[in-house]
Amino acid sequence: MNPAPTALAAGAPIRPLGHRLARWAGPTGPLSLATGLVLAALVLPPLAVLLQVSLTTVNPDGSPGALTFEHYARLFADPALYRSAWNSLLFASFATLVSLLFGGVLAWVVERTNAPMKGLAYLTAIISMGTPYILYVTAWLFLFGRAGPFNDWYRSLSGSTGILFNPYSLWGMILVEGFLWSPLVFLLLSATFRAANAEMEEAARMSGASILDTVWRISLRLAWPAILAMALFVFIRNLESFDVPVLIGTPGRINLLTTDIYLATKEVPPLLGHASAFSVVMIGIVGVLLLLYGRVSRSAERYASVTGKGFRPRPFDLGRARWAGGALIGFNFVIILGLPLVALLWTSLTPFARPIRLAAVPSLTLKNYRAVFGVASYLDLAVNTLLVAAGAATAAVLITLCAAWIAARRRAGGTALDQLATLPLVFPGIVLGVAMMELALRAPFPLYGTLWLIALGFLVRYMPYGMRYAYSGVLQIHRELEEAAGVAGAGPIGTLRRVVVPLLSPALLSGWLFIFLIAAKELSMAVLLSGPGSQVMAVAMFDLWTNGQGGELSALGLLWALLMTLFATLFYALGRRGSAGAFGR
Amino acid sequence: MSPATLQVHKLSKVYPTADGPAGGVREASFTLEPGAFFTLLGPSGCGKTTTLRSIAGLETPDAGSIRLGERVFFDAAAGVNVPLNLRHIGMVFQSYAIWPHMTVFENVAFPLRVSKQQRYDRAEIRRMVDTALDTVSLGGFQDRSATRLSGGQQQRVALARAIVRQPRLLLLDEPLSNLDAALREDMRTELKRLQQQIGVTTIYVTHDQAEALDLSDRIAVLNGGRIVQIGAPRDIYFRPQSSFVAGFVGATNLVHGTVQAGCGAEAVAPVLLADGQVLHCLFPRPAAGSARIAISIRPEAVTLTPAEAPRRDGWNRMQGVVATSGFLGNMNRYGIRVGDAVMQANTGPEAIFPVGAAVGLHFPSDSAVAVPD
Repeated sequence: MNPAPTALAAGAPIRPLGHRLARWAGPTGPLSLATGLVLAALVLPPLAVLLQVSLTTVNPDGSPGALTFEHYARLFADPALYRSAWNSLLFASFATLVSLLFGGVLAWVVERTNAPMKGLAYLTAIISMGTPYILYVTAWLFLFGRAGPFNDWYRSLSGSTGILFNPYSLWGMILVEGFLWSPLVFLLLSATFRAANAEMEEAARMSGASILDTVWRISLRLAWPAILAMALFVFIRNLESFDVPVLIGTPGRINLLTTDIYLATKEVPPLLGHASAFSVVMIGIVGVLLLLYGRVSRSAERYASVTGKGFRPRPFDLGRARWAGGALIGFNFVIILGLPLVALLWTSLTPFARPIRLAAVPSLTLKNYRAVFGVASYLDLAVNTLLVAAGAATAAVLITLCAAWIAARRRAGGTALDQLATLPLVFPGIVLGVAMMELALRAPFPLYGTLWLIALGFLVRYMPYGMRYAYSGVLQIHRELEEAAGVAGAGPIGTLRRVVVPLLSPALLSGWLFIFLIAAKELSMAVLLSGPGSQVMAVAMFDLWTNGQGGELSALGLLWALLMTLFATLFYALGRRGSAGAFGR
Repeated sequence: MSPATLQVHKLSKVYPTADGPAGGVREASFTLEPGAFFTLLGPSGCGKTTTLRSIAGLETPDAGSIRLGERVFFDAAAGVNVPLNLRHIGMVFQSYAIWPHMTVFENVAFPLRVSKQQRYDRAEIRRMVDTALDTVSLGGFQDRSATRLSGGQQQRVALARAIVRQPRLLLLDEPLSNLDAALREDMRTELKRLQQQIGVTTIYVTHDQAEALDLSDRIAVLNGGRIVQIGAPRDIYFRPQSSFVAGFVGATNLVHGTVQAGCGAEAVAPVLLADGQVLHCLFPRPAAGSARIAISIRPEAVTLTPAEAPRRDGWNRMQGVVATSGFLGNMNRYGIRVGDAVMQANTGPEAIFPVGAAVGLHFPSDSAVAVPD
């Protein structure tokens, strides 16, 4: 009477041998294959060319010669490597500490307490997102430099002729880099604090814990994996950082790993073998750190105590200390936005660099602005930058849309696509710059010195970010919405076009804007890839700076930052709406 | 299109996990007559949804075959697997899967717009969508945004979308489980009327036995990935073939005993219980002498009397003491201690016995159904 138990005893039915292949023959197989080919063509050549150049000699005619380990041998034999590595380590560690402490405390004060002036913190962060790093660095260099107001006041107060603070030092670099990254830390951690389950804190308070006790024993412990993951991420980015090392370190004769690579390419003739070997070592270091980061952030996801309930956590009442919180927000505004803005305005209006004094006011002039508007090449520059950033962002979003959809839905080849699209994270900007330069030099058609090359470099470098946006976006779409389209008769492309893309569009737009914003201010890669006919904004600013045209740089930078702030505001508004939806408002 | 016969033959699909294969369905076979309302009923994880998704083409089975009329959808041996979008099936999902970025009209028109077998012009689409929406009583909702619909309305839109191209097969995946109780009853009636009106062959997946009994022409009860019984609702309820079916479809009392003398199908024969009592039971299938069996007695089949009332002709009588009693409005529910066991008895609201009273339990011998132990 019972169904015969034979098959049960035999265990799982035998899967036909061609089953894995059958998955590829399924409807998404061709799309998966096409996406994989595009990704591989983008991601693998830079790696391959670096390895090849680092392992071969160069013939007198420029063609690759015999296999050699000489580049690596010379690299490791040079004591300068270890000095630079030590500097890089110090720089990255302490800068991470600065941005984490500053940005983290700020995020907590803004999200979880009743401190006043919270809007100011967001305003500061948004504007800083669109502003090129080089602009910040020059502003702070002016403020704290020899001719800057602080040293100026110090001299007039103390009567000495020395300086109080020398920004051209490792500690100056650390402070500047720390402040540069604190807005991003603030934005990311405030999302963590916003999503945290307030009931856990309320339960601690109900059990009799003080605010400090609660923060120390509950809030911090819960957020710890997220903070650790972010610290590692910021550390990696600081290790890869190029702007601050080249703008402050190089004049101050403090070399870091990234500037060593840059300087090797600037030798005549360029030491490409040396730079490539250096780059491969750098990729190795970053790769190991990224593996570590993957582990930490996975455990952070396990720990996340996101609440689905639609209430906003009740903020801590700081009592009188809320004014201290307000002061911190105010300080953040002044140091990240107010002072640099004033400095830039001042330098853009003075005919030559001079301290901020009332006596200098009559000499103020709009000459720099007239120069910016008067020279047609500045307009070309802006158009170039917008084109390259928009092109790279569009291509990255399109490719990662397909890759993320296939990966998130666990279709054939999904894991491989995910890994391919995430692989470029191992390239520091300067390293990818070297790789793209070498690729372009070998290309059978003229690629070096064109905007295409820069756009291609940006596309490869920022694809992982597009992947993250698209992937988490797909996960938020209920699977049955796609299945319903399939049952209703739509093929995979139809489903993608008519259902997935419209539902994913907020996530795709956020991803697009994010890539657009960071690509528009990227310097490290562009500085190696720009030719005379393919200048972009960050490189032009870098040239102005090295030529000593600080006034024009400030005028140009202010106008550019204004434009970018519009995009950044849009990006922020979108993200805010998206997260409001995800957390049930 | 006219409804067609659906044949599912030895369908198997298991999900390999780290701890060995889990869930899924094993060797499910059934044939549906055109226009039938067929229900897959079982607890969660029994394989009913896997079966439905395999028929839809959302899952690729490991083995077996699926054919609708002349058309082979899937045949593992022959290597045939028609992609889901070419199967021409209507389906209503558990979450309804109403696309939030489209209006009601666009949601329902979608299957016509993406159809590859047949092109529809603008006027045809308008006419067919209007007809489908009228069928589910949503005429006039065409331009409403899909995000501004109640649960019941979303359900109707999903149904309209499933029937708009007059599919030969309609699949319903627990469509009522997200509605509140009152609405669920209404939609059940509506669904039955609708299916009879359009006459489409329908497969319905649910874990709710009342829905299954009310709606279906035939029911397949699944457990642990296997179909354990297929039959008409009355067969399933009154002639369960296993203690699982007896217990899952409606509440029942199971009493264990030994067959005293072998008997043929549909015969009444005496069964000896462990405490020495003898009950007369209905055997839907032949039984051998001295076999161990279980007896299923529905609580509503039991009549309670004062202990001294005599046994009626053709009935069984047991003795017990009232252990619990509950008043549910339309009935009283008693727990009666009989020996070591407690038996449930549902009586009319007028039959009142205090806790501790000695009572007699009476039930006809054809309400005591023998099932394999």
